Amino acid sequence: MNTEGDVDSDMECSDNECFGDDSDYYNTDDIDIEQVDPSKNDPEYFEFECLTEEQVERLLNESVELLSNNLQILPSLAKVLLHYHNWNVSEIIGKYRENASQLLINSRVKPSSAPASNNCSRYLTCPVCVLTHSSDKFLSLNCGHLFCKGCWTIHFEVQINQGISTGISCMARECEVLVPEDFVLKLVLQPNIKEKYLQYIFQDYVKSHPQLRFCPGPNCQVVIKSQDTKAKRATCSKCKSIFCFKCGIDYHAPTDCHTIQKWLTKCADDSETANYISAHTKDCPKCHICIEKNGGCNHMQCYNCKYDFCWMCLGDWKAHGSEYYECSRYKENPNIAHESVHAQAREALKKYLHYYERWENHLKSLKLEKETFDKLKTRINQKVMSGRGTWIDWQYLFTAASLLAKCRYTLQYTYPYAYYMDTGPRKELFEYQQAQLEAEIENLSWKIERAETTDRGDLENQMDIAEKRRTTLLKDFLDV
Amino acid sequence: MANIAAQRIKREFKEVIKSEEVAKCAIKLELVNDSFTELKGEIAGPPDTPYEGGNFVLEIKVPETYPFNPPKVRFVTKIWHPNISSVTGAICLDILKDQWAAAMTLRTVLLSLQALLSAAEPDDPQDAVVAKQYKENLEMFESTARHWTNIYAGGPDLNKDFNDKIRKLVEMGVEEHQARVALSSYNWDLERATEQLFS
Ligand SMILES: [Zn+2]
Ligand SMILES: [Zn+2]
Ligand SMILES: [Zn+2]
Ligand SMILES: [Zn+2]
Ligand SMILES: [Zn+2]
Ligand SMILES: [Zn+2]
Repeated sequence: MNTEGDVDSDMECSDNECFGDDSDYYNTDDIDIEQVDPSKNDPEYFEFECLTEEQVERLLNESVELLSNNLQILPSLAKVLLHYHNWNVSEIIGKYRENASQLLINSRVKPSSAPASNNCSRYLTCPVCVLTHSSDKFLSLNCGHLFCKGCWTIHFEVQINQGISTGISCMARECEVLVPEDFVLKLVLQPNIKEKYLQYIFQDYVKSHPQLRFCPGPNCQVVIKSQDTKAKRATCSKCKSIFCFKCGIDYHAPTDCHTIQKWLTKCADDSETANYISAHTKDCPKCHICIEKNGGCNHMQCYNCKYDFCWMCLGDWKAHGSEYYECSRYKENPNIAHESVHAQAREALKKYLHYYERWENHLKSLKLEKETFDKLKTRINQKVMSGRGTWIDWQYLFTAASLLAKCRYTLQYTYPYAYYMDTGPRKELFEYQQAQLEAEIENLSWKIERAETTDRGDLENQMDIAEKRRTTLLKDFLDV
Repeated sequence: MANIAAQRIKREFKEVIKSEEVAKCAIKLELVNDSFTELKGEIAGPPDTPYEGGNFVLEIKVPETYPFNPPKVRFVTKIWHPNISSVTGAICLDILKDQWAAAMTLRTVLLSLQALLSAAEPDDPQDAVVAKQYKENLEMFESTARHWTNIYAGGPDLNKDFNDKIRKLVEMGVEEHQARVALSSYNWDLERATEQLFS
């Protein structure tokens, strides 16, 4: 069993591993698991397994065997029933006991009307190819619709080449009966088409199984399995992809699957308007010298006049340290309802840009912090080579960097959440917590950028605070 | 062309020629070439519909994989119907898509299309403008469809009011069919159709 905590911490930190490398934060070795329900303390707790294709086959076959033994039916028919009922064995058995015939009709195993009666003449004409063959060349499904073997084979090949597998049905008009796997495999002879069929049917089975998900990583064959079918963070053990178990896209807590989809669509639609904000440079608000952002931290210090300011709002950084960090909060115009349509549209765009700018900015910070971290690694490497400490002495810095990435990732995904929230006390609470998280993340980032001169205890303290803020926000607002 | 496809088309052609529908002049099928890859179909507009009295010509293309894949059919005769494009003649009908079965024949297709003329399915539209009119103003839809049947399919019903409006637009330099489309789309509101044409 693989839980988030088991992801091995590695010296190498790829983009993805940064988020998964949280061994220190989920280390439950010294706690008796039996006594503590880990999901209580960790809102992101998620138990899952990464399975190979063979393991999935075995798992599916267990259900097939169970059902075919229980109902005394052929395994291939059991597969049709299981695929139709999302692999819920007990539901199928229940329905079978209740009304077997109805179950078989609904699952398209049996025809809804009486099977076609066939005369037993020695020669028959196939309605598809209109040729006459001896009757032993004919086959039918449960519906009794006879077609010659050659036509069945072509039918399957045409369907499979169009990507259809579990959905192949009888060739008769208005006949809904589905063709079971063994019937197809018996008649399809070309090895490459057979191979394709097996691949498609496997995909259909996995997709219909509520506890299974294909890893969305490119060319990755891993299937993730979990009893818990919620929008939780799954990490592929092979390609390290991190994704939401429910919808399969990049993990997006605290935002839910539907909202993030809406947000991403909106961002794609509005990308033109939002483009202008992606500029990398801004002027120092005090001495107006041009400053380029090359680190991930939003706490900027002008290299010319040493003024401390915020990259996002260009406000004085000192004000950001106070109890209510206003920078992340969007202030709505209270009189907007009375304004013209034009003004309202402008206001809507302003609101969107406020959230989009922060979403985009934290994404950029994530990338820049990764670069900072790579540079840091090189410097530490040099230190170790010249005998100043060992890798183990600097390990805490790597832990800090991956924690920073994890926190900023969550922070990034708080912006779509806030954008779609209704105004009111709950949104105020959310933005309060978001502001606090943001402030602590920037503090952490600032300290990591200057890590070699910062006190280790101070840094570790800051890590602790940032992660606490993150967990608090998720506990209160992650609704899965 | 694949052997089965040609075999089938030959057989089906004979089947249609001998059918009682042909005897009643409800459907017609002609070969366009001798390789059996293209045919010309014809269906009579069903009685008690706006298509009554009209004759609708269909283009039928037979794919290599026929009958395992459906034939490609479209209306050559211009028609005003929610499930048929008033521009291209493309048809939205399940048996010409995923509900096709290899045991179906061209006769089944022609009869299904005739049935489609009697019973439109505006919730599964091919032509959104027509479907909207069908749902919001059935009477307007029926007189428009009847007018198109008269003009393009040889239907009997002459609509003087519609023809007058079209003539006004033609006098302003608009091509006749274009004028008819604009007026049909705007419920025969001359002002709005003009606005759309000249904007
Ligand atoms: Zn055959
Ligand atoms: Zn059948
Ligand atoms: Zn993977
Ligand atoms: Zn999701
Ligand atoms: Zn300055
Ligand atoms: Zn700010």
